[in-house]
Amino acid sequence: MADTVGRLPEQTRRAARNGSGALAVLLLALAPQLVHVLWAAVSPLYRVPIGNPAQIAVDYATALGTALPAWLGATFGTVPSPPLPSAVLLALIYCYPLIALALLTLMVRPRGPQDYYGGIVLIAIAGLALWASSDLEGMQGFSVGAGTVPRLCGVLLMGLGAGIVAVGLFSEGPALARYAWRGPLFVSLAILGFALAIRPLGLVISAFASFMVAALGTPETRWRETTVVGIALTAGCSLLFPYALGLPLPLLPRFLLP
Amino acid sequence: MVELFSNLALGFQVALSPINLLLCLIGALVGTLVGVLPGVGTVATVAMLLPITFGLPPVGALIMLAGIYYGAQYGGSTTSILINIPGEATSVVTTLDGFQMAKQGRAGPALAIAAIGSFFAGCVATVLIAMLGAPLTQLAQKFGPAEYFSLMVLGLIFAVVLAKGSLLKAIAMIVMGLLLSMVGSDVITGASRMAFDIPELADGLGFATVAMGVFGFAEIIRNLDAGADIDRELVQQKITGLMPTKQDLIESAPAILRGTMLGSILGILPGGGAVIASFAAYTFEKKIARDPSRFGRGAIEGVAAPESANNAAAQTSFIPLLTLGIPPNAVMALMVGAMTLHGIVPGPQVMQKQPELVWGMIASMWIGNLMLLVINLPLVGIWVRLLRVPYRLMFPAIVIFCAIGIYSINNSPLDVVLAGAFGLLGYWLIKHDFEPAPLLLGMVLGPLMEENLRRALLISRGDASVFFTRPLSAGLMAAAALLLVLAVLPSLRKKRREVFGESEN
Repeated sequence: MADTVGRLPEQTRRAARNGSGALAVLLLALAPQLVHVLWAAVSPLYRVPIGNPAQIAVDYATALGTALPAWLGATFGTVPSPPLPSAVLLALIYCYPLIALALLTLMVRPRGPQDYYGGIVLIAIAGLALWASSDLEGMQGFSVGAGTVPRLCGVLLMGLGAGIVAVGLFSEGPALARYAWRGPLFVSLAILGFALAIRPLGLVISAFASFMVAALGTPETRWRETTVVGIALTAGCSLLFPYALGLPLPLLPRFLLP
Repeated sequence: MVELFSNLALGFQVALSPINLLLCLIGALVGTLVGVLPGVGTVATVAMLLPITFGLPPVGALIMLAGIYYGAQYGGSTTSILINIPGEATSVVTTLDGFQMAKQGRAGPALAIAAIGSFFAGCVATVLIAMLGAPLTQLAQKFGPAEYFSLMVLGLIFAVVLAKGSLLKAIAMIVMGLLLSMVGSDVITGASRMAFDIPELADGLGFATVAMGVFGFAEIIRNLDAGADIDRELVQQKITGLMPTKQDLIESAPAILRGTMLGSILGILPGGGAVIASFAAYTFEKKIARDPSRFGRGAIEGVAAPESANNAAAQTSFIPLLTLGIPPNAVMALMVGAMTLHGIVPGPQVMQKQPELVWGMIASMWIGNLMLLVINLPLVGIWVRLLRVPYRLMFPAIVIFCAIGIYSINNSPLDVVLAGAFGLLGYWLIKHDFEPAPLLLGMVLGPLMEENLRRALLISRGDASVFFTRPLSAGLMAAAALLLVLAVLPSLRKKRREVFGESEN
């Protein structure tokens, strides 16, 4: 009796962990749609609207719901039907397998989580590649079309991913590694910032600003020291790249130039 | 034989011109400088410094890049010995005995033996390249698309077998690399593939972009995990007495010889031989040693053998590139990128049409190794001081440098963003114990493989048996199959684990 009581919290914890794992896989399953909707939502800010986000979301939801009958109709129906729309294909090739994996994750406790989730992401990448190359031509007589090899590789990667999932499921392996958030976040921000700033603002400003942002990546930064090094480095880069190496980099902001 | 000497003479004539000597020197120095920085491996160093060679004439650019390459490799061993942090995978095993030697106050002899061993290996490898160049080029002319395809299959299988950890994961990484290489326009039909209607992706993913992401940014992010001030046990005492004793030389001479031989052979194999060469050389030395327990406690053979092996392999890996046009590893793939920028398509034709380019580069390798030996040993004090620069200042500088480097390749901000994204992917790969090296190799060989596969099938009118009926191709395929079978056999699996296990204990 005491034994059972002792185990209870452990089991709930396990269940909770698997719930979050399943949720993560589910999120991955819907990631392309979410990215598209989000992009549609922010694209007006960059004056390149790509569509009404709500409409796109509704389209995807419909595709997710109706993909199976549409596919069955197209495959087994007697009436020749038009090719399936891209959203339906995405649901069929990418989302359904991953949703199935999310359900599986909810029910099992993988022994090697590192391999298990690694394999799932590989399956996702393979599914995405299969979907993205589904509109390409396959074999044309004896000539290999543009889509043949990508699809071949996609299928292969999906199989390998499934194999790795199986390994993670059945054999003892390492747990998930801990991710830090600070380093990845600020280094990515610095890179992104540099990419956005280099054309309009020039090398001097973007290099210095990215240097400072990247320095946020560790709590050990000492600001006075970092600022001095940042200035020195910016000066060095401004001399090295455009002058010594003759690369066409703008130094100063566009609005300052004549 | 006469041809060999005239070729080498031509090479030295090119390499000894003042401007090329200077470029070689700058390359070796800058390569060492960047290679010494922890967390910047050879691939990232070469990718990062690629843009600085853009403005040079082709021969000069390649000589400088080659200089950067072995400079970076040399820098990696310096950090292995002095601070127990391998600059790159090929010098992981050097840390085992090198750092122990440094702790015992024998950092000087360790560095010197590493340099001498590398130089000797470099000399042998240079001669080997010169000797094998011509016959392999002739063989390459018998190669049709089917043979090229089979050769690359063999190379990828080698990469799988030589990769660390799970076979399944290594194959998956290669396939992922192949998929990445197919993003962009199809070479034959021009159809846009997996580009998601993003115009900048129409040309495909740049190799340097991906390499910088998974090898540069990912490494930086990972290093930050542990906190910026990684416990770097820098050897504090002043390095005195660079010269190894007579006893050291006697002990390490046979190890250098064996390491050089192993390295030269493994380097030629497509599939990243340099890493396995250093591991194999170390394991081999330990196996045949009279007293294996000395290893891991500062045995000088433990420095001499892997250092000679990785340098020999680094040099002989130029052979498949120069003769067959197939880059056997990521650094060579960057070399292909550099050559393409200068309008040179590597392969057997280059050897014949532009002999001064190829032989000039080969000769400059030898000169570069000599320079490293002469210049870097006295300069070791400077490198040590560089190591004292705290990581909290170093990593933002590396980030900026990489970002500027990527941007300047195509003047494209999207490339920088992509490299960042691949950095995060690389971080994820590291966390899930996937090796990024096979991924890069897959990406390098992908376009070549696909093109040759399609051409071979077009010629054979869709008959896939062409790969098994043409004798050369059949031989290569059989070798690949055999290798794969061997790799799955339990005995070799154990051996693989043993070889790679060295770094973990």
